[in-house]
Amino acid sequence: MTDAGYVIAAYGVIIGGLALYAFSLMRRLASKRDHHDEAR
Amino acid sequence: MKTRILGAVALIAVAAMVLVALFVVPADLNQGDAQRIMYPHVASAWLGYLSFGVTAAAGIGWLWKRDMRFDAVALSAAEIGVVFTAFAIWGGMMWGDPVWGVMWQWEDPRLTTTALLLALYVGYLLLRHLTDDPERRATRAAIVGIVAAVDIPIVHFSVEWWRGLHQTATIGSPDRVLNPAAPMVFVGTLLGMLAAFTLAWVYLMIRRYQLARLEVEREEAARVERLMSRHETAEVAR
Amino acid sequence: MSALRHEASLALAIARKDALAELRGRHAAVSTLFFAAVVLLLFGFALGPDAQRLADAAPGLLWLALVFAGVLAVNRLHLLETDDGALEQLALYPITRRAIYAGKAVGGFVVMLVLGLIVLGAVGILFAVDVAGAVLPLVATVVLGAVGIAAVGTFYAGVTVRLRAREVMLPLLMLPVLAPLLLGAVKATAAALSGDPFGELGAWLQLLVAYDVIMLVAGAATYGYLLED
Repeated sequence: MTDAGYVIAAYGVIIGGLALYAFSLMRRLASKRDHHDEAR
Repeated sequence: MKTRILGAVALIAVAAMVLVALFVVPADLNQGDAQRIMYPHVASAWLGYLSFGVTAAAGIGWLWKRDMRFDAVALSAAEIGVVFTAFAIWGGMMWGDPVWGVMWQWEDPRLTTTALLLALYVGYLLLRHLTDDPERRATRAAIVGIVAAVDIPIVHFSVEWWRGLHQTATIGSPDRVLNPAAPMVFVGTLLGMLAAFTLAWVYLMIRRYQLARLEVEREEAARVERLMSRHETAEVAR
Repeated sequence: MSALRHEASLALAIARKDALAELRGRHAAVSTLFFAAVVLLLFGFALGPDAQRLADAAPGLLWLALVFAGVLAVNRLHLLETDDGALEQLALYPITRRAIYAGKAVGGFVVMLVLGLIVLGAVGILFAVDVAGAVLPLVATVVLGAVGIAAVGTFYAGVTVRLRAREVMLPLLMLPVLAPLLLGAVKATAAALSGDPFGELGAWLQLLVAYDVIMLVAGAATYGYLLED
């Protein structure tokens, strides 16, 4: 793997992972809030 | 609303710093393009350690004040900390292979300590997951978090000793970026990446904290409901 | 001053109670010992048959065997409590939680010390290293290691009382924290066995002492919170 490959693998996972985690958080929050309002 | 703005700012900052780190900053003379990995790697490691400190401190807060909000902070910091620590290790491996020739090296105290940090985090989260009673969970987690935090500096120190006595020179070192004598553009990019990542960290912490509080409310509500239905059944039985 | 002595005597009473219970259920202590022996045998199969390689690896193998056996031993010591709720009953007595922790840790230390000395001898025989030539530093290392494993093990055994999946959680929590002890003990053992050519034995022993003190203090300070629920 050329250096570029390593750089892409590193950034891809880190930035991609951050984005994925942020999205999953927002989704979990949204669903919890919906249920919360429904329960009332 | 303010959180959303923070999120947007963090997103822009991270995106901008990534572009800078990949296309603006020059490549290192010795390490080549692989050195660009250092920027997110160091930033992730820094946030992984910060999160751990927050987890331990929040644990102390719970033990002292018995306020569940401290526990929510501890949980959030631990979960986010695992994420950043995993990133740090991955980045370290991706950097190590082109520069050291190996993805892992035992003598780098930062690498070994960070791997242990990950193990401690995972244990912490599993312990929480396996404890149902919220207050017992908070207490158990708090003391485990504190003892683990005490252990981390000991680990770092002993691995440094380990390396020092072995006396091998490493071919390439992250120090080129961390060294204050390094070219300003490297240091500046590193600090910028650090700042951008920290903004993202704060945003994620706020969101995770909100989620944690909602989950606690849900838990409480479910508990109350169970108690109520049991009470009703008892009433009907009479 | 008498309050401290009161606490100490109570701690010793707990330690004695635990030790007697262990001795009565002798088969459990013996099986832990045999577990360590089997682990050593497997190491021999895994890394042998080259005698030099085994001799070089001996310090590491010794302490790996002790750490793994230590997890089992500590797990057992606290199992005696959970089965009949004795731990909760203990907490009701008007004695300080620190004394409870100290008592249990002392009990654990005695077990680990005996285990450690026997396994040390076994390693000398199985992996052909000259234990007799460096008895004093080796025993000192075993003592310090036993203190650390007991301190940390007692603490985490308390944390995992009545925890689901306890058999895997106890080692999962304990072992990362034991890493510096493992490192220090192995390096000290290796230095002692090789005649300490670099003069590092003292430094590693100091690390072990520091580790033991820190972990004992941390364990004693926080153990009390565990008993509150």
